Amino acid sequence: MEISAREKSDVIIFDIEGEIRRSDVSDVTLHQLVKDQLDTGKRNILLNFKNVEFIDSFGVGEILASYISTHNLGGKLKIAKISKKLYLIFQVTMLTKVLEIFEDEEVALESFIKD
Amino acid sequence: MAKNRLYRALSRIVDIRPGEEIIVFLLFLYFFLIMAPFYVIKPVRNAEYLEDVGSLGLPIAYLLTAVIMGFFIHFYSKLQVRVHRRILIISSLTFFIVTCLLSREFFIKEYAWMPYAFWVWANIYVVVVVTQFWLLVNDFFNPREAKRLIGFFGSGGLLGGVLGGLLTGLLARAIPDHLLLIPAGILILSGFVVNYIFIWQRKTSLPPDKADIKEKEKERKPAKVGFLDSFNTVRKDRFLIQLSAVVILTFMVATFVDYQSNTVVKSVLERKSDMAEFFGYFNAGLLVLPFFLQLLMTSNLIKRYGIRITLLLFPFILFLCTLGIAIWPGLLFAVVIKGSDKSLSFSLNQSVRELLYIPISPELKTKAKLFIDMFLNRFAKGIGALILLIFFFYPPPEFWIRRVQIVSIISFVFIVAWIFFNLKVSKEYTDTIKQKLEMKWDRADRLVADQVDVDYTKLVFDTIESRNRSSVLYAMHLFDLIKQDKLTPEVQKLISYKSDEVMVSSLGGLFESGEALLSPEIEESIGEETLEKDIKEIMSLDVYQEVMKGYVEKVLVDKSREGETAKMELAKAMGLMEVQSPLVQKLDELLLDESPEVSRYAMESAARMKKREYVPLLVKKLSSPVTREDASIALEKFGSRVTGTLADYLGDPEEELELRKEVASILARISTQEAADFLSWEMEEAGGEMDDELIDAMDRIRSENSDVQFSEDVMNKKIAEEVKKYYQILVDFCDLKPEAKEEQMKKGLPKDLSVVLMNVFKLLGLIYPREDIARAFQNIRTGTKDSVAYAVELLDNTLQKELKDILFPIIEDLSLEERMKRCRNLLRNFPNL
Repeated sequence: MEISAREKSDVIIFDIEGEIRRSDVSDVTLHQLVKDQLDTGKRNILLNFKNVEFIDSFGVGEILASYISTHNLGGKLKIAKISKKLYLIFQVTMLTKVLEIFEDEEVALESFIKD
Repeated sequence: MAKNRLYRALSRIVDIRPGEEIIVFLLFLYFFLIMAPFYVIKPVRNAEYLEDVGSLGLPIAYLLTAVIMGFFIHFYSKLQVRVHRRILIISSLTFFIVTCLLSREFFIKEYAWMPYAFWVWANIYVVVVVTQFWLLVNDFFNPREAKRLIGFFGSGGLLGGVLGGLLTGLLARAIPDHLLLIPAGILILSGFVVNYIFIWQRKTSLPPDKADIKEKEKERKPAKVGFLDSFNTVRKDRFLIQLSAVVILTFMVATFVDYQSNTVVKSVLERKSDMAEFFGYFNAGLLVLPFFLQLLMTSNLIKRYGIRITLLLFPFILFLCTLGIAIWPGLLFAVVIKGSDKSLSFSLNQSVRELLYIPISPELKTKAKLFIDMFLNRFAKGIGALILLIFFFYPPPEFWIRRVQIVSIISFVFIVAWIFFNLKVSKEYTDTIKQKLEMKWDRADRLVADQVDVDYTKLVFDTIESRNRSSVLYAMHLFDLIKQDKLTPEVQKLISYKSDEVMVSSLGGLFESGEALLSPEIEESIGEETLEKDIKEIMSLDVYQEVMKGYVEKVLVDKSREGETAKMELAKAMGLMEVQSPLVQKLDELLLDESPEVSRYAMESAARMKKREYVPLLVKKLSSPVTREDASIALEKFGSRVTGTLADYLGDPEEELELRKEVASILARISTQEAADFLSWEMEEAGGEMDDELIDAMDRIRSENSDVQFSEDVMNKKIAEEVKKYYQILVDFCDLKPEAKEEQMKKGLPKDLSVVLMNVFKLLGLIYPREDIARAFQNIRTGTKDSVAYAVELLDNTLQKELKDILFPIIEDLSLEERMKRCRNLLRNFPNL
C-alpha cells in the first residue's frame, strides 16, 4: 500500500494505492498519517480510494479510526471513489449513514466548501 | 313386504344391511346346493376307491388328480377367456349333471378305470364349483361386506354338506348303486338358482358411487386369462406367492391327514357299503360342528382376533391332532384328525383364504384364483402324494401303524412351514390393503414446507419491497441472499425487474438501481467468500461500534417516518453483529418499538442471536395478530433450547389463550421429543379448550419426525374422550326436533363432528403408523364405498380391539338407526381405555 498526501482547497487529500490489508501493514498506517495531519491543525481530510484494489476489515478499521480522530477534533473526513464492493459493505454495515462517500473527488471538495 | 320379512329373518342370524337380503340369501342357497352334491359324491368316491384299489393306492389317486388337474386348468382357462361367467357356470353345472349320471352307469358296469376317473372327476367338480362360487361373491361384495357375510355363506355350504352326508348315510345300504342320482338332481336346482342370481344382478341398480360402478363393470367383464398368464401373474406378485405357499402347505398337510385317516378306516372297515355309510354319516356329522362354527363363530373370530390369529388357528389345531394320531393311531384319532381338518378347512380356513383374495384387483384375482384354487391345491396334493410314495418303500405295507406315525412326523415339518407362511401372508395382506388406499393429501404446512422454501421466498419479497424503502435495507437483503448462496440469475432478474422505476435517493449515484448494483463487477466481487467475513469483522471492531453509537442513539429517539426506516435498518444490521456487541444491547428497545415493521426486523435479529432474554419479549408479541407470525417464526428459530420456557407459557392458564395456542404451534415446529412430551403432558393435564391445537401440534411433530414417541395410555384415554364427544354430539343432534336440527346444521354441526373425528385420527396416528392412519382417514372421508371399506379393513388389522370397539360404530357403513343404537349403548357403558 502506498499513500501520498496533497492539499487542495484547504483539504488534505490522501491518494491511496494498492491493497489495504492486515498482512500488508507498513511502518506508517493510514490512521497515523491522518493523525499527523490533524496534529498540524488540518481538519478537512479526503481519502481517495481511486487506485485501491483491495481493502479488508483492517483497512475499514483504519478508515473508521481516522474518522473518529478527525471527528473528535471537530474536523471532517470524507471518502471518494470507493469500489462497488466496498460500497456494498458500507451499506450493509450502515457506515453509509455516518461516512460521507462521493463518487468524484471534485464533488467531495465542493462539499467541504459548502460545509 | 316379502323383502322385509326376509331381511328381518336373516338379520337375526347374520349382520346384514338393508338391500342385501336377496343376494345374500341367493348366494347362501347356491352354495348349499353345490356343496350338498359333493357330500354324496365324496363318500361314493372314497368307498369305491378304497374297495377297488385300497388305501395303498391313495397316493396314486392324488398324483393322478394333480396331473389331470393341470391339463384341465389349461382347458378351463381357455374356456374362461372365451365364455362369459354366467354361461361358464351354467355350462359347468350341466357338464357335472351329465357326467354324474354317466358315472352311475359306468360304476354299475364295473369298469376297472372308473374309481380313478371318478376320484379325479370329483376333485374337478369341487374345485370348479367352489371357485366359481367365491368369484361370484367377490363380484358382489367388498372386503368389509364379505367379512361380515362370509361366515353365513360358508355355513350354507356346510349345511349342504350335512344334508348330502346324511342322505348318503341313510341311503347307502338301500340304494348303493343309485346314490349319484341325488347330486345330479340337486345340481339341476342349483342351476336355476345361479341363473336367477344373474337375472337379479342385471335387474338391480348398482350403487350410486361412480367409482364403484366402474370397478364392478370391470369385474363383470370376463378376464382374458390363460393358464400361463395366471401362473405369471402369481409369480410376479409377492403376496400371491406367499398365498400360494400357504395353499400348497395346507393341501400337502391335508393329503397326509387324508392318508392317515383313510388308512385307519380301511384297516377297521372292510365292505364298500359300510365305508360309504361310514363316510356319509361321518361327513354329515363332522359338518354339523363347522356349520355352527361357521355360522356363529367364523365372522366373530375374524372380527375379534383378526386375520392373523384366525389363520394360525387351523395349523395349530392340526399340529395337536397330528401329535394325537402319532401317539394313538386308532379310529378315534382318525375321526378327530379328519374331522378337524375338514371342519376347519371348510369353515375358518376357507373363509379367511377368501378374505385374503379381496384386496387383490379383480383382474389379478381371477387369474390368481384360477391358478391357486384350481391348480395349485391339486398340485400340492400331488406333491404330498409323491412324498407318501417315497415312504412306501419303508416300512412294509403290513405295518400301517408305523406308516401313520411316520406321516405325522412329515406333517409336523410342513405345519411349521405353514405357520411361518401364514404369518408372512397376513402381514402382506395389510400391506396390500394399504396399497389400495391412496394417500390423498398431506398436512398443508408440510406440503408447503416440502414444495416452497418459505424463508427464501420471504427474503426475495422483502428484498424487492426494500428497494423502494431504503438502499441500505436493499443491500442488507442482497447480502442475505448472497450469504445463503441464493442470488441466482433468476432472482437477480426478479429483483431487478422494473429497476428503471427505482431511484434510491441516498446512494450518491453509485447504486441507483438494482440493475446498477448487480453489474458484472459487483457480481464477481459478491461471489467472494470474504464478503461475509469482512462484514462480520468490521461490525465487531471497537471503532465501528464507537462510530455507530451516536447514530444509533439518534435513530432510537427519532419518531419520524425516516426514523422508522432507519430503525428497520438498524434492527436488521444488529442481526449481523456479535451477540456481545455494545450496540446489540439496544435491540430490546427495537423489539418493543410500536412499529410492526421495526419490530419484525428486530425479531428476525433476535432470532439470529438466540439470546434467552429476548424470549419473553418475543412471546409477548404472540398476543398481537400483527406481530404473531413473525414472533412465532423467531421463536421457532431458537429451537430446542427454549422448549422448556415455551412449555411454561403453554401451561400457564394466566396467559392469553391465543398466545398459548401459538406456543403449541411453535413447539410443533421445533419438533423434538421434548416438545412432544410437553404437548402431551399439557393435553393430559389441562387440555379442554386447547385440545384441537395440542392434537394438531403433536400430529405435526409426528408428521415431521416419526421417531418421536407418545404415551399409548395418554393417547388411548384422549381418543376415548374424543370418541365419546363425537357420540354425544351425534346423539344430541339426533334427539333434536326437526326445526332445531335444521337450525343446528346451519351453525355447523357437521364441522364439529369432522373436527372431532379428525382429532381421533390424529391421535391414532401418534401411536400407530401415521401414514397408514392418514390413508385410512382420508379414504373414509372422501373415498368411494369400496375405498372406505378398505380403510376400515386396514384399521381393523392395525388397531387394538378396545379402540376398534369404540371407533367402528362411527366409521363403519351403518344405517343411522344402527349407528345411533350403538352410540347410545356405548355412551351408557363407555369402556375405560
